[in-house]
Amino acid sequence: MSGTKTTTSGGESKGRERPRLGIYGLTGCAGDQLLLIHTEDHLLDIFEAFDVRSFVMASSNPVEEELDVAIVEGSVSTEEQREHLLEIRKRAKILVAAGNCATAGGVQAMYAKDGSFAERMRRVYGDDVKFVTEPIEGSPLDEFVTVDYYLPGCPISQSQVLALLSRLLHGEQPEPYPHPVCHECKLRENRCLLLDKKFCLGPVTLGGCGAACPSNGVGCTGCWGPNPDGNFEEHFKLLQSFGMSKDEIIRRVRNYGGHKILQYIKDLE
Amino acid sequence: MSKTERIEIEPLARVEGHGGIRVEIKDNKVQNVEVRILEGPRLFETLVLGKTPEEDLSIVPRICAICNLSHKFAALRGLEKALGVTVPEATQLYRELMHHGEMLESHSLHLYFLALPDFLGYDNAIAMAEKYGDVVTKALALKKFANKVMRIMGGRMIHGENPILGGFGRLPDHRTLQQLREEAEGFLPFAMETIDLLASLEVPDYMERETRFLCLKPPHDGYGYYGDILLASDGKEYDVEDYKSVISERVVGHSFAKRGRYQDRPFTVGAIARVLNLGDRLTGKAREARDRLVNERWYRNPLYNNFAQAVEMVFSLEDMVRVIDRLLELDQPEIARPTRETGVGTGGVEAPRGILLHHYEIENGLTVSADIITPTAMFLDDVEAFIRRASESLLSKNELDNFELRLEMVARAFDPCISCSTHLVTVEFE
Ligand code: SF4
Ligand code: SF4
Repeated sequence: MSGTKTTTSGGESKGRERPRLGIYGLTGCAGDQLLLIHTEDHLLDIFEAFDVRSFVMASSNPVEEELDVAIVEGSVSTEEQREHLLEIRKRAKILVAAGNCATAGGVQAMYAKDGSFAERMRRVYGDDVKFVTEPIEGSPLDEFVTVDYYLPGCPISQSQVLALLSRLLHGEQPEPYPHPVCHECKLRENRCLLLDKKFCLGPVTLGGCGAACPSNGVGCTGCWGPNPDGNFEEHFKLLQSFGMSKDEIIRRVRNYGGHKILQYIKDLE
Repeated sequence: MSKTERIEIEPLARVEGHGGIRVEIKDNKVQNVEVRILEGPRLFETLVLGKTPEEDLSIVPRICAICNLSHKFAALRGLEKALGVTVPEATQLYRELMHHGEMLESHSLHLYFLALPDFLGYDNAIAMAEKYGDVVTKALALKKFANKVMRIMGGRMIHGENPILGGFGRLPDHRTLQQLREEAEGFLPFAMETIDLLASLEVPDYMERETRFLCLKPPHDGYGYYGDILLASDGKEYDVEDYKSVISERVVGHSFAKRGRYQDRPFTVGAIARVLNLGDRLTGKAREARDRLVNERWYRNPLYNNFAQAVEMVFSLEDMVRVIDRLLELDQPEIARPTRETGVGTGGVEAPRGILLHHYEIENGLTVSADIITPTAMFLDDVEAFIRRASESLLSKNELDNFELRLEMVARAFDPCISCSTHLVTVEFE
């Protein structure tokens, strides 16, 4: 532990070790980490309540040792990242996947398992490039390691991440949030877009965003990933009755569905 | 100094993700400089194939969180050109307001929290706050204000879906606009104090070399952050639709980001390119700021990019006031509709870090081809060239103290996203 910070800020000891936290980014847009940085006031609280060992996007001189909690953003998209993730898992008691890229694979996983990755790589980079690390088709963390908790969303919501962190801080189990976007949309007393025959994935999408898009009159694109209780079959029928083809609906639900949507649509295609 | 030495600046934690800088030195000569982008491939150009413009607009901002609204704006411009959508004046102004939010957010974060501590000799902004507490507090408030503008116009803090083809899902009411106007005016004195502060700084010259600057020329007489003409510092102008013959792209093995060149040589984009190419169009306080700060060394020294960001913060605050004043006179705009289902268009927007181009081909309402060139891809070759120059001049003068930090400062000046700038150098002796 030599050379590392073990006291709380201000030099006061709280009499109890603060949980050690590491925040990491694999392949993505860094939106989930940026969202944490944008919580300015709470960010200071996080740095006070936790012993933040590694958060390269916000702070220099990371210390890569044992962790109580690791939050990992981004999909696994190179061999080097796969190894990095395994290494983090070994050091961390609790591993949290943050953001759609980490929980489902992200938009880069919308063609998950359809076999088109090599061809699409060729299309963008050409034939004869040899990269310093082997590319992998974007995959969620749980394709390679056990994930303890999931924070879905593209990006995650501030209230959900803060709720999870305070639970973990007090040694409690974070609670699942099994409500669809529709639920939050009703709480905000919006007029349902489906009544106007507008495309919206609210009923089959996990909530947590506060129905951000429908509240602006724009349909949900499903960025929180599938709601396990959603009635996909009925919702697809409804959207079809608006004049949309089933192929298009499935294509759209896959945009943010990554690996996680596959089980819900496998019998519907 | 040992015979062969490798200097690794890694993790360059976020140059659109994961990357680093590697400098190889042999017998006191620089052998090789690589800015390595090790972020995995995401293949965005293939993700939008077969998709509607509505889906494209949702997907492409996910390229980068910091510039998410620049991507949205560039995609909107490209797609609207392709589909013959002409937006009313008010919609255009709301987009400018949205874009000022992103410019202010990105510039304030970079200038105050990542670059200024370097110039003033502190490890980070928190250490800097002991002597410059007032600056740090006001800078935080400015960044928060910018975030609010992004949230109101974008619909969420990051990746909001509020900007749509032809308009917006929902627009702020007049009271909100008035409040934003007041706040923007309130930050102007602070932005001008920042100009004073920068004017008093000494800027090192160890990396200086000539380069060229590219930016977009606004479609009016003023300064601005979008346009359909590429303007180079050699005076040449090109239609943005011809971008492929102006900026050549190549793929290198040490980077999942492609590299751009102008006339087969590296070039610079970003705030410094805009202020140098378009500075004569500035008026008001922004003009004062530019006249105060710009000198001929700007053409050789990327560290002045931070100064250019300060000039643009003044411009954005002043222009927000102008934009809102005009919006308060206009009626709420209607959503403009496509006039065709097939077409081709290139959208050009100045992201905080420079020219961002989105090119789309739409056939019967679906995307058949897309090409996206980011500012990072454009300036990476120039970052390498400046780092090479810096290494050579420091070696020749035998100035080996803080070698990595000084190379890092050069990379940081280009504003290659947040964490790459927070800190990243390790040296490996072989
Ligand atoms: S989940 Fe979304 S916000 Fe998070 S890294 Fe991926 S693309 Fe970015
Ligand atoms: S409404 Fe849907 S698309 Fe919008 S933020 Fe929420 S989950 Fe994502």
